[in-house]
Amino acid sequence: MSQSATSPASPLDLAALALDVAGRQGSLATLLSSRLVLVTGKGGVGKTTLAAALGKIAAATGKRVLLAEVGTEPKDRSPILSALGEDRPSSLEPMKVGENLWTVLLTPESGHRAFLRDVLPLGFLADRAMRAEPLKRFLTAAPAFAELGVLYRGLQLVRAKRTRNIPLFDLVVLDAPATGHALAFASLPQLLLKVIPGGPIGRAAREGIALLHDPAVTRAIVATLPEHLPVSEALELVQGLRKSSLAVHGVIANQVPHDPFSPAEHDTLSRLLARAEVAGARTLHRIGRAKAALLRLEESVGGVLHVREQSQRGAGLVQLVAHDLSAGRA
Amino acid sequence: MSQPGGGAELARLLREQRVIVLCGAGGVGKTTAAASLALAAADAGRRVLVLTIDPARRLAEALGIPPGAQKPSAVPRDRLDAAGVSPKGSLDAWMLDPRVVFEGLVRRLASPETAKAILATRLYHHMTELAAGMQEYTAAEALYELVQEGSYDLVVLDTPPSRNALDFLDAPGRLSRFLDDGIVQLFLPKQGGILRRAGRLLGSVFGSVFGDQFIDDLGVFLGAFSGLFAALRAHTEGVRALLGSAQSSFLLVTSPETAALDEALFFKDQLAARKLPFAGFLLNRSLARVAGLPNPGEVPGEPLGDGARRALDELVLRERELAGRDLALLGRLQGLAGEGKLALAAPHLGDAVEDLPGLLQLGRGLLEE
Repeated sequence: MSQSATSPASPLDLAALALDVAGRQGSLATLLSSRLVLVTGKGGVGKTTLAAALGKIAAATGKRVLLAEVGTEPKDRSPILSALGEDRPSSLEPMKVGENLWTVLLTPESGHRAFLRDVLPLGFLADRAMRAEPLKRFLTAAPAFAELGVLYRGLQLVRAKRTRNIPLFDLVVLDAPATGHALAFASLPQLLLKVIPGGPIGRAAREGIALLHDPAVTRAIVATLPEHLPVSEALELVQGLRKSSLAVHGVIANQVPHDPFSPAEHDTLSRLLARAEVAGARTLHRIGRAKAALLRLEESVGGVLHVREQSQRGAGLVQLVAHDLSAGRA
Repeated sequence: MSQPGGGAELARLLREQRVIVLCGAGGVGKTTAAASLALAAADAGRRVLVLTIDPARRLAEALGIPPGAQKPSAVPRDRLDAAGVSPKGSLDAWMLDPRVVFEGLVRRLASPETAKAILATRLYHHMTELAAGMQEYTAAEALYELVQEGSYDLVVLDTPPSRNALDFLDAPGRLSRFLDDGIVQLFLPKQGGILRRAGRLLGSVFGSVFGDQFIDDLGVFLGAFSGLFAALRAHTEGVRALLGSAQSSFLLVTSPETAALDEALFFKDQLAARKLPFAGFLLNRSLARVAGLPNPGEVPGEPLGDGARRALDELVLRERELAGRDLALLGRLQGLAGEGKLALAAPHLGDAVEDLPGLLQLGRGLLEE
């Protein structure tokens, strides 16, 4: 599926872009000055690419950035590493993939282990407990414990220190689950607190809530495509996340098609293309739909960042998307 | 261009199967595909139910059914008639509510008193609130129950995005494991409770990690459940057997996007590993079927300016390139699907598939391939 780009994918000077970020795009700078960015949205809208691009932009400003994804096994295909053009399998511990840039796979099991290590008096107890068959089965089978493990591991990495006062990572960017699950995810710690109010789990839930609800720490970005239904779902997601007391920083419209025509030319073209089944009609309709969808999105949330549609794939795509985000085309 | 008889094979599935499960990455149009296939089967004269776990309200809007219903609702007959669906067939739809399904399961398996006791426990209430884990458990249950009940000839199931759809495949087994005697015994007060049964290490881990209140709650919950384990296990084995039987077919939906395609291929391996019946690929949102359309000419008396003409030529060229690429991809999918399996491209309808006639057009379009 490789193909040539319509615009040359020259390697971008991300350090120079970083200056742009500080100078022209205050909003993006605020986003990247938080500690945890959740990139969320309906499936198929390009969350992984956007997360990788945001991570690259932040890394180019000198921040130590961790790109986190959710999965069950390191050997499974890693969307984040594919987006970065890396062939390696993912890793349960942060793995360096570039200047100031690391990736990690958050799994339920690594979260459960991390939690037990944190709460049990001796480290070896956690390892032995994790090998105990009944506990293993309970943790994999009980509803929501998998998601809680992932969340715990993510927040542990946000809090991890390099030295006593310096965090291990300045910023963690999480390629978050798709819409329905993201909403359930966001409200998990509160629910957990109702089920298990006391003990170390209750304490961890309260700490988690404190981090997730502090806009200086956690901000969510909702990604969407410029089409009618995806925009509707993005607006629902924004509402739902706000209801869970998560700071929604903004919406990114991904894959916005280029429109080379004036309104008058659109009129002529719609007559031209309506006459028969001809090549180009579908693309032109899509341009029209995208405009209407973006207008609706803009009216509802405002300050929508646009990322142009690209034919480039893989690592080159992440560079181009990073360029658009930095330029702050709204 | 397409596999000979691909549409005919799809028609056979819609005519003969009892269960069709659609899987794939998010954003590939699974929900739409599920609704259009269900409608096509109804059009072929069958009594069809389409089930979705997608929390989006899309399907309800398109089909004219109430969202948040407690059980399947019929797509209004006048709507089906207006769309030209065969009067022999019928279509119901349901957006699953995990709470409703799970409660139904408890009520079916337990005596009225036991059911009341289970539903009254504190943990039950919260457990069904944890929707992140419950959707998949209950989808498989609902599917099984509705197939067994016999009101439908065919149930079409739309699953959540791929990684979570794996959860769906494993959900019946996981529910059994969760309610496995070995775990349950740990928490049952009657058996002497956690400390005596589990050994000191595990006992202290559970005790210090979960806290006393949770362990008490879990004891009450599982105590109420304890008479049902055998029935539940038989039930989940039934679900697994149904999904693995020749009456069921799994269709993998993908778009031409690399990530979606990777998910579909990943999923095909997972089906094979679980011995679940793979039926083929549906290529959605592609231009494969409009490859080779003629160039647009001119509108008489309305010449385009040079700049616009050039831009149009570029746009047309680009669309042709994409269409050619999608067509090649369809060929690749046909190779990957293998002998006797489907690989069909859906017609490109843009945003139009939002109402019943649009869904019917999509379904019929697939059958024409």
